[in-house]
Amino acid sequence: MTGPLGAGIKVVGVNHRTAPLDVRERFAHGAHEVPAALARIMAAGASGGVLLSTCNRTEFYLLAEDEPALDAVWSLLGERLPAPPAASGGAREYGYVARDRDAVRHLYRVSAGLDSMILGESQIQGQVREAWEASRAQAGPVLHRLFQTALHVGSRVRTETGLGMGTASAASAGVAVAGKIFGDLAGRSALILGAGDMAELAATCLAAEGVQITLVANRTQERARAIAERLGGRAVSLEEAWAHFATADIVLCSTAAPHAVVTWERVGPVIAARRGRPLCILDLAVPRDVEPAVGQLENVFLYDVDDLQTVAAQATARRRDEIPAAERIVDEETDLFWAWYGGLGVVPAIKEFRARVDALRVTELERALRQLEHLSPEDRARVEQFSQALLNKFLHQPTVALREAAEAGHGYGLLEALRRLFGMEPPA
Amino acid sequence: MSAVIVTLHLIALALYGLTTALALAPFVGRRAAPRALAIAFPCAGAAAHVIAVSQLTLVGLGPALSMLALCIVLLQLASERLVRGSAVSFFAAPLATGLLGLAILSGLAPGSDAAPGRNAWFVLHVVLSVLGVSLMALAFIAAALYLLQFRELKARRFGQIFQLFPPLERLDQLNRFALVAGFPALTLGVLLALGYGARFSGGLHVAKAQIVWGIFTWVVLACAVWLRVVRQWAGRRAAFASIAGFSAVLLVYVALKLAQPGVERFL
Repeated sequence: MTGPLGAGIKVVGVNHRTAPLDVRERFAHGAHEVPAALARIMAAGASGGVLLSTCNRTEFYLLAEDEPALDAVWSLLGERLPAPPAASGGAREYGYVARDRDAVRHLYRVSAGLDSMILGESQIQGQVREAWEASRAQAGPVLHRLFQTALHVGSRVRTETGLGMGTASAASAGVAVAGKIFGDLAGRSALILGAGDMAELAATCLAAEGVQITLVANRTQERARAIAERLGGRAVSLEEAWAHFATADIVLCSTAAPHAVVTWERVGPVIAARRGRPLCILDLAVPRDVEPAVGQLENVFLYDVDDLQTVAAQATARRRDEIPAAERIVDEETDLFWAWYGGLGVVPAIKEFRARVDALRVTELERALRQLEHLSPEDRARVEQFSQALLNKFLHQPTVALREAAEAGHGYGLLEALRRLFGMEPPA
Repeated sequence: MSAVIVTLHLIALALYGLTTALALAPFVGRRAAPRALAIAFPCAGAAAHVIAVSQLTLVGLGPALSMLALCIVLLQLASERLVRGSAVSFFAAPLATGLLGLAILSGLAPGSDAAPGRNAWFVLHVVLSVLGVSLMALAFIAAALYLLQFRELKARRFGQIFQLFPPLERLDQLNRFALVAGFPALTLGVLLALGYGARFSGGLHVAKAQIVWGIFTWVVLACAVWLRVVRQWAGRRAAFASIAGFSAVLLVYVALKLAQPGVERFL
């Protein structure tokens, strides 16, 4: 196993910019797979590791030397790809590596939502926290602190800038529009037509607001049941769905039907029984699931995917204006972390190191002087001066090297080496 | 008229003017003011206004308008605090500024027919009447905001109104509360006036026209409340009803003022 001397912080992985969805899906690791994956990388020489795996990225944050650990990551990811052609670069072809300060900055940008597919989205912060918690046993003190500060950076960016304001995806825009009709969505009921990915995402967004979900699926009843169960809702068949138009507050449509399934004939009379209560219909399907005439009904608010993308685009435009302020916070916090990492306990360690060697000098000097009792007091003082001078000469170069390494941001590796060589305890 | 009262009114007017400017800034392409600032200005204005009103004799057009403006600002602040209805200031701030300006222009001294005493009946009559009218104004504002937001949502327009106005249901609740609380306050205020007249002034000294149109206004308002509470009207229909109620109050007031110029009583 490679020692920590010379090890640095690295991030190696793929994200939505470097790899297509089908590749990202292959690289994604479930929480149960994380310990084994990290154990494999640690066996290749990393002294700490955290695996962040979301639908948009799979990234290994490591405290390691370059070659063996990075090779292990590419090899681990490469095994998940279908058999590559001989000339292919494997997983490496889709990925990237950032080192030291760039790696720190990268994680801070990720946590702040600056590196997300949807600029400023807040879900990533929870995912960073989950990754840190899932890898806690293998993270080690440096990555532990790195992830702790990354969460702090995410919070700072969200509270001190407007990067997280508004809504920036069609599903969350749907939630925002429904919020403009109903105010607080907690306790409202939603009927979801469809059980595809978009329906699931939108249902998750609504459930997160406290909305009671009823899921409708014509073809994939099993999937609908599974999603409904996960979100604490229930699944019904399409035949049962129409009656729910009289009671639901929100109807979200995202079926793969080639024509409108929600027609005036089907739901007009049911909606009339609502006695003026507003109904928000979010049609996320292409082609549309809801006949435009349904939107003409009194107190029915109908929005299609174009409308919701308009809302999302407005929010994204406002968020872009906040990027410079968010980047400033990231830079500021990167400097702070780097100062901590660079000078990680260097002063107390040097003190302890000198004290330990000086104690040895005093012990040995006393033993020598006991055997040299014939020496005059002046000569005894000269011997003591000699021992002190010799010690200073020996310690000068290591002390200078340690201080310089700390200033250059590489103090951590040297300190680890010093602690191991001289049997010093790591700081509490 | 004390210079202190006028100065305090002018300070309040300036602060309400600033509140209006801040509230309307997003509609002329400026950034929305921070919430703290949007609350601080009307708060400071209301503080100056309260000190000024406490030194006024609550008789005559000027003092009544001044007190009405103060009540509207206080209700605006309460809406902001209770339902985060900051959009209420889009209407309430200019309305209060205008009313206070009118109050200063019409003079803050008591009218020539000032009541001789300021007993509990009289003070309660003034307070309840002004509170009732202010709540009716708040119901009107909430209803107007509701209709504007409704129109934008129905037409799928996502501009400043969509962004800045509160949700429809919150406006509907605000409208219901203001209407349901305002109507009894106003009714009680009028009954106290009748009682005060009978007990302390030897009868009612008002023209027949005032009685007839006063009853008409009361009936219109009662209908709006009945539709809202008994018939369970909500949303757009209820908004139209409360707009009709407040419009009746305003129209009758203006008509009576035009028919009997020079009368310095508020109602």
